Amino acid sequence: MKSLLIKNARLETGFAYENGRIVQTNTELFDVLIQDGKIAEIEQNIQDTGYETIDANGKLLMPSFREMHIHVDKTYFSGPWKACKPITNGILTRIEEEQELLPAQLPSALNRAENMIEWLISQGHTHIRSHCNVDPQIGTKHIEITKEAFKKFEDQVTYDIVAFPQHGLLRSKVEPLMREAMKMGGTLVGGVDPATIDRDIDRSLNLTMDIAVESGHGIDIHIHDPNSLGAFQFYKLAELTKQAKKQGQVTISHAIALGDLHGKELEELVSVLAETTIDVTSTVPTNRPTIPIPYLYENGVTVSVGHDSLTDHWSPFGTGDTVAKLSTLAERFKFIDEYSLNRCWKYASGGITPLNDAGSRVWPQKGDAANVLLLDAVCSAQAVARRRPITHVISKGNIAYSNEEALAKEITK
Amino acid sequence: MSKVKWLSNVKLETGERLLANGTVETETALFHLKIEDGKIVDQLTANEVIPAGHEVMDMHGKLALPTFKEMHNHLDKTYMTLDWKACTPVANLKERLDFEAKELSILADSAEQRATKMIETLLQYGSTHIRTHVNIDPYIGLKNLEGVIAALDSFKGKVTADIIAFPQHGLLRESVPQLMREAMRSGATMVGGLDPAGIDNAIEKSLYEVMDIATEFNADVDIHLHDGGFVGYYTADKWIDIVEEAKYQGRTALSHSFCLGDIPVPQQIVVANRLAEADVAIMSTVPITINRVIPPIDLLDAHGVKVHFGCDGFYDSWSPYGTGDVLEKATRFSELTRKIDEKSLRNALKWVTGGVLALNEEGQKVWPEIKDDASFVFFDAASSAEVVARKPKNRLVMVKGELV
Repeated sequence: MKSLLIKNARLETGFAYENGRIVQTNTELFDVLIQDGKIAEIEQNIQDTGYETIDANGKLLMPSFREMHIHVDKTYFSGPWKACKPITNGILTRIEEEQELLPAQLPSALNRAENMIEWLISQGHTHIRSHCNVDPQIGTKHIEITKEAFKKFEDQVTYDIVAFPQHGLLRSKVEPLMREAMKMGGTLVGGVDPATIDRDIDRSLNLTMDIAVESGHGIDIHIHDPNSLGAFQFYKLAELTKQAKKQGQVTISHAIALGDLHGKELEELVSVLAETTIDVTSTVPTNRPTIPIPYLYENGVTVSVGHDSLTDHWSPFGTGDTVAKLSTLAERFKFIDEYSLNRCWKYASGGITPLNDAGSRVWPQKGDAANVLLLDAVCSAQAVARRRPITHVISKGNIAYSNEEALAKEITK
Repeated sequence: MSKVKWLSNVKLETGERLLANGTVETETALFHLKIEDGKIVDQLTANEVIPAGHEVMDMHGKLALPTFKEMHNHLDKTYMTLDWKACTPVANLKERLDFEAKELSILADSAEQRATKMIETLLQYGSTHIRTHVNIDPYIGLKNLEGVIAALDSFKGKVTADIIAFPQHGLLRESVPQLMREAMRSGATMVGGLDPAGIDNAIEKSLYEVMDIATEFNADVDIHLHDGGFVGYYTADKWIDIVEEAKYQGRTALSHSFCLGDIPVPQQIVVANRLAEADVAIMSTVPITINRVIPPIDLLDAHGVKVHFGCDGFYDSWSPYGTGDVLEKATRFSELTRKIDEKSLRNALKWVTGGVLALNEEGQKVWPEIKDDASFVFFDAASSAEVVARKPKNRLVMVKGELV
């Protein structure tokens, strides 16, 4: 039985109050024993009887991250610097560009995908959901490449591969390719803007759902269309989800329209999404109205964050740094106090937090998957606000990454 | 005797080329730079031989960029070096100021220690000039000023600074006008101000008082203007009148100036032209809080207004965020205004270098020149556009020929 003992890990145990307000997070040191990829024991002192051991030395133990929206198959990451081409033909600019760029990038695609996955692991991710182009030029080659890349990291990350008809399911006539991609290892059916790209909302959404039903998988669809046009498609998707009994298996990526709606319109749409258990992923964009992430969560719509891109022909800015992403989220929503900063982690961890909303310790528990991070931080609020470094990434009980540079430094403030 | 050394294999941006697909690429080349007394005195191309007899420091092809200017900070306010503390939520600015007032005397004793950590952090990221506001208020008088000056003193030769006497709790109250003058006699180099409407409740009187102190001490001015909408706009517009009367063109700045984003575009253009004419600069921290309107920086820039970025007094009783990397502000601004191509990314660097760029608008090399200070931030990067987009963490900072 494979074991790993983490000594002196700092766990959040509750909140400290002053005049009825939460001013601090209480923490205590524990030893945590991991066996067979699961948390086996959490005690003040576990005798080291020859286990592989990490001395956390007071570092903070937190649930690992899930990267819920990325494209590992098409990236400049780890290649030479390239800025983006100026946009000359609206939304079609990038699609036209891809028709030449992606075939040209094929020889380096596997290597770059592997480098990207490795980087994301170092940033604390133990699950990655990657969209993966299925288009007339690339066919299903990116599905093969992405599968191969993930295979190399099987002990370190779990993953989803979204078969993604970037150039339009209808527009680029890839229905047969999409069905093939799902047979080859796609775990979710993708899609993109049924209105703007496919210009036939009903047929595009129906066909997407049809492929999902045939393959027995869920859906993760990019919808960037704003305000009423986005909302119109969300309602249609919810309707189809109910009919196909795919509740809990459908994600809307970006869901920009949610950032445009207010009042009753927003309320109604959110209640339909919640009722259908449709969840949402967001990159927390700063260049457009960010969707009301806390409001969605409080009203039953799960929101997860993703980086989308590290650097590619769409954007030169991504970092893969989810601590920084959460910090941006907090800053955008003006979370400045201990409690609201503490409650941010869930958007990146699949909802897992050491404390529940009431401040009771709920994680980790015996039997939980041993997907954990150690950070040079005194509590998660500090980690998020001050962007404290990750020192260890432990995935399925294995040490997937350790940050020697951060370990060499003493705890700074 | 003068000190001479060579920096070998320094990558400099030399031009640009337009590719067939419409993209621009930056051209670079390697140079050897001769440094004498902290200034560049000669330059060889990389294939020329460096004359023997002097120290040679091999820069291994790293890209040299101008050092950064952190143009809006509060060195006296940060919590850095203290135990972690999140912020206390408040309902409005008045409550925030009341809360700060309670903390000021407790924090004042560690002002030098906290400011030192902040300066160290800013310098590490490449800022060699810091404009800091320092509280001058009825609670602590000049105590923070003393701490900040002491901290800056220990960075002499590495960091230059503007030290602004800042009436955070109002200028037109009690002893503050006297305290402000005392601060100007005690090492402050610029005069600050704060929301003549929202805080001082007397727009003209407040602005004139600021200008009176400034002219009395022949000092420049940087006023915090958070007041939104047209009251903020009127304040800025009135300030321009006062600048013209006092012949203070080129000597003043308005920090934050969210109001300029609140007014209609035609009016933005009118005020931009006036700001440019009176050479009033705008300082922005590029906030990303939802619903926070920021000044129309691209429009101001296009009309010739000088704009500079700053980190603000990060990690203090106002806000728990911020890293001290002013380059991040250029990245953030590029991201939120969708500057994604080589040329516009490259240009965005000017907002953190005091306007200095290696290449001009036409892509011709204009920096560095012989006689310039040998002050650089070195990056492992292909171009300044890459630096703005990727904000590489590994940097070497050099001031007047010496690594810091």
